[in-house]
Amino acid sequence: MPTPTSIQANVRAPLATALAGVTASVYESVPEAVIPPAAIIVPGTPYLETTLISSSIQLKVNFTISAAVAYNNNAGALDNLEKLVIQILAAIPSGYIVGDVSRPSIVALGSSNLLISDIDVSTYYKQEN
Amino acid sequence: MPTTIVTGRDITFTIDGDTYDAQATAATLTIESTINTYQTLDGKAYYTTDTQGTFDVEMLADWTAGGSLCASLWNAADSAPNTPLAVVFTAASGSVFNFSVQPIFPSAGGTAPDAQTVSLSFTCVTTPTL
Repeated sequence: MPTPTSIQANVRAPLATALAGVTASVYESVPEAVIPPAAIIVPGTPYLETTLISSSIQLKVNFTISAAVAYNNNAGALDNLEKLVIQILAAIPSGYIVGDVSRPSIVALGSSNLLISDIDVSTYYKQEN
Repeated sequence: MPTTIVTGRDITFTIDGDTYDAQATAATLTIESTINTYQTLDGKAYYTTDTQGTFDVEMLADWTAGGSLCASLWNAADSAPNTPLAVVFTAASGSVFNFSVQPIFPSAGGTAPDAQTVSLSFTCVTTPTL
C-alpha cells in the first residue's frame, strides 16, 4: 500500500528543503515575523488545479515564492534581491515549472521596509491514500 | 429525467494494460464516417462506405519515472510496430469502449518553463465496440 501523502510533507517541505541552501531564511508557510533576507513559500492563485482526467486526486499545485530583502537603499536592495532571486531559481528542484519573477515592490512590515519579488512556481501532486 | 453530465474526471483508460490516469490530461475517441451522397430522382440517398477511429491522448511526459508509460509506448512502437495494442476506454461508468490501436512513437521534449507533454494520435485498427 502506498504511503499516505500530503501537500505539506511531499511538496511544500521538500521545496523548502531544496531552498535551504540559499543565503536567506526559508519559510514553507507565511511566518508571523519575517527576518530578511527571506524566501517565503505561499500558495499561488489558483492554488490547486485539477488538470488530469479521472477522479483520483491529482492536482497541479501553484506556489508563489516571495523573495524578500531589507530595503535600506534602492540600488543595494535591488542588487541583493536580484542575487537572491538567482539563488532561488538555481535551487528549485526538478519537476517544477518556473514562471515569471514579478516587478519588485516595497512592503512595510512592522518598522522595517522590505523589497519583495514574487516567483511563480508549480508542480504536480498525486494523493496516495 | 435529470440532466446527466459527465466530465473528464469520469474518464479512465488503459493501453496495452497500462493505466494512464496519473499522466493523461485529455483523451478523446473520434470515429469518422465516410458517407457517400447520391442525388437520385427521388432525392438524396446516403451510404456509409467506411469508418475510421482515432484515439487522441494528451499526457504529461514521464520519461524518468519508474515504469514509464512513454517508454512503454516507445518500446511497443519500436519492437512490434505492427502488433496492435488493446485499449479499454471508459468515458463514464458503464460506457466502456474496447478497441485496438496501432503503436506509435511518443514525442519527446518541450519548452523551457513548462511541463513536458506528449500528444498522441492513435489510429484505431478495429472499430470500437461499446
